[in-house]
Amino acid sequence: MKFAVIALRNLARHRRRTLLSLLVIAAGAVALILTTGFIRFSFDGLREALIHGGLGHLELMPAATAGATGPDRSAPPAFADWARVREIAESTPHVLAAGAAVYLTGMASKDDRSSAFVGVALEPERERRMNLEVKIRGGANLPDAAPPVGEDEVLLGLSLAQSLGAAPGDTVTITSMTADGTLNALDCRVAGLVTTGLQELDARLLKTHLATGERLLGTDRVSSIVIGLDDTARTEEAGDALARRLLSVSAERLVITDWRARAPFYGQVRALYSGVFWFLGGIVFVLVCLATSNTLLMSVLERVREFGTLLAIGTSRGQVALMVMLEALWLGVVGALVGDGVAALLVMAINAAGIEMPPPPGAAAGFPLQLAVRPGDFVAVVALMTVVLAVAAIFPALRTVRLRIVDALGHV
Amino acid sequence: MIPGSAVSSRVLFQARNLRKRYRLGTVVIEALRGIDLEVARGEFVVVAGPSGSGKTSLLNLLGCLDEPDEGQVVFAGADLASLSSADKTALRRRQLGFVFQSFNLLPVLSAFENVEYPLWIDGIPRAERKRRAEEALAAVGLGDRMRHRPDQLSGGERQRVSLARALVHEPLAILADEPTANLDSRTAAAIVDLLARMNAERGTTFLFATHDPAIVARAPRTIRLKDGMVGESA
Repeated sequence: MKFAVIALRNLARHRRRTLLSLLVIAAGAVALILTTGFIRFSFDGLREALIHGGLGHLELMPAATAGATGPDRSAPPAFADWARVREIAESTPHVLAAGAAVYLTGMASKDDRSSAFVGVALEPERERRMNLEVKIRGGANLPDAAPPVGEDEVLLGLSLAQSLGAAPGDTVTITSMTADGTLNALDCRVAGLVTTGLQELDARLLKTHLATGERLLGTDRVSSIVIGLDDTARTEEAGDALARRLLSVSAERLVITDWRARAPFYGQVRALYSGVFWFLGGIVFVLVCLATSNTLLMSVLERVREFGTLLAIGTSRGQVALMVMLEALWLGVVGALVGDGVAALLVMAINAAGIEMPPPPGAAAGFPLQLAVRPGDFVAVVALMTVVLAVAAIFPALRTVRLRIVDALGHV
Repeated sequence: MIPGSAVSSRVLFQARNLRKRYRLGTVVIEALRGIDLEVARGEFVVVAGPSGSGKTSLLNLLGCLDEPDEGQVVFAGADLASLSSADKTALRRRQLGFVFQSFNLLPVLSAFENVEYPLWIDGIPRAERKRRAEEALAAVGLGDRMRHRPDQLSGGERQRVSLARALVHEPLAILADEPTANLDSRTAAAIVDLLARMNAERGTTFLFATHDPAIVARAPRTIRLKDGMVGESA
């Protein structure tokens, strides 16, 4: 016979009340797990979209042109020893591929229409090996091979193409400042139309082959090397390994930045969502705490004479309080386990249903809802509900501790 | 024994000038007005008196359940006022037994578990708990009702379980507050017979509060209370 058994039997005495408490706790647990799953899905989705949308996991650039969030796009390409560094990067563990990038800014024109562009020239074959996603919405991707002189091709963002009135197969003229400060222009065939998922980016985006970029800027230097890894979780490890290797072989002072540093937007979104999550979690905590505290207090007040008897026959006040606490903990554990079960079923059902979510603000496309729940979430919710119920039981337990035995025995 | 006390080792309870007041709103009620008494080890004493005479208040003070406003209670040589809260809890757990008018069994425990409970909270090993609880239940004639819960027992049976619970840890004294009030006269007489038998067989001291004249008539010693004072003793 243990206090835990007595506590369990006391809960079984008032089945309806216990069931109600369990429902409240289970509902709280379900809400927390589903919210966690949705928020993690959003974080993971945004992170991978940023990385595979073009950021890559790591970016290497000369210190001279390095800014806080990547290379200075307005500076001419300054990375001279890039081919050797790229080779070293590609031989580093967990690196899928490393591709050179030249950042471009300038004007794109077709007939009498012009629009400013922000572009990047890169190596399509390496981009593919890095698993960087190119969302083609018309035409085709850039060919892997460097285009011969006079046969340059570009990909245009959907909105940029729209503003220029350009379609795949058309020719546009791109103009930019060369590395030595003169103006240069190239006629390029529009190979295809792309989207980043973000309308504002699509209105300025231009992509082309590294060779075209070098030709336009009149340089054989590049802005940076973008590196793709086999696992985002290995970013720090791979960055450290690469830094160690480069220290001994490259004369150029280089800077490595990871995707997180280059995407402050991600940190802001994460902070916002985390705030929302903790706010919701706090509401669930308070609601479950108040509801169960009230139920526990009711249960204690109905059994005042019983507690008086326990105290009279030699049960210590601590043991009586423990009994109330154990009832609360049973409720917390069982309620959370029920919530875990229901949440698991709901997660499976929602993920299988393929519910299409509307486009987030600023995004061009919706996305299928998938809740990213981990086994640890179910354990954490049980632990959290146990804490919630322990807090909820404090006041009822104090009531039993403060009982005067003779008053309790005379309680009707 | 407390210093300067004249209590002999034969005396189990000694009360001196016990006073207890209760406040009901603005009215102060004097439940006990200077009680002096002694109860020897092994005695069977009935505390008699009408409702409101102070029987329950007296038993509460003697049983360490309440504290007097004035006066002193000495139990087995120890002044109860000198004991800490934990000491009083231990004293109630080991040296006193209680039988209540409404039985006050734990409804979620079986008869056996209710009787075993005082031994369990005192840390007695399982095997010994089992032996002693079964013996106590057998002694009150409930050897075949051990697994029943209180709601499956009659009033008389519940009071027997309550008595077994009070006896199981072999206390020095059992305080029974109107233990027969909720029973029919036949069952009440049987319970009193049982208490008397336990007193005779085990030498346990009994203090038994009642206002039932039939039971008072059978008591070897009666302390009569009236308006919070000892009226007469027989």
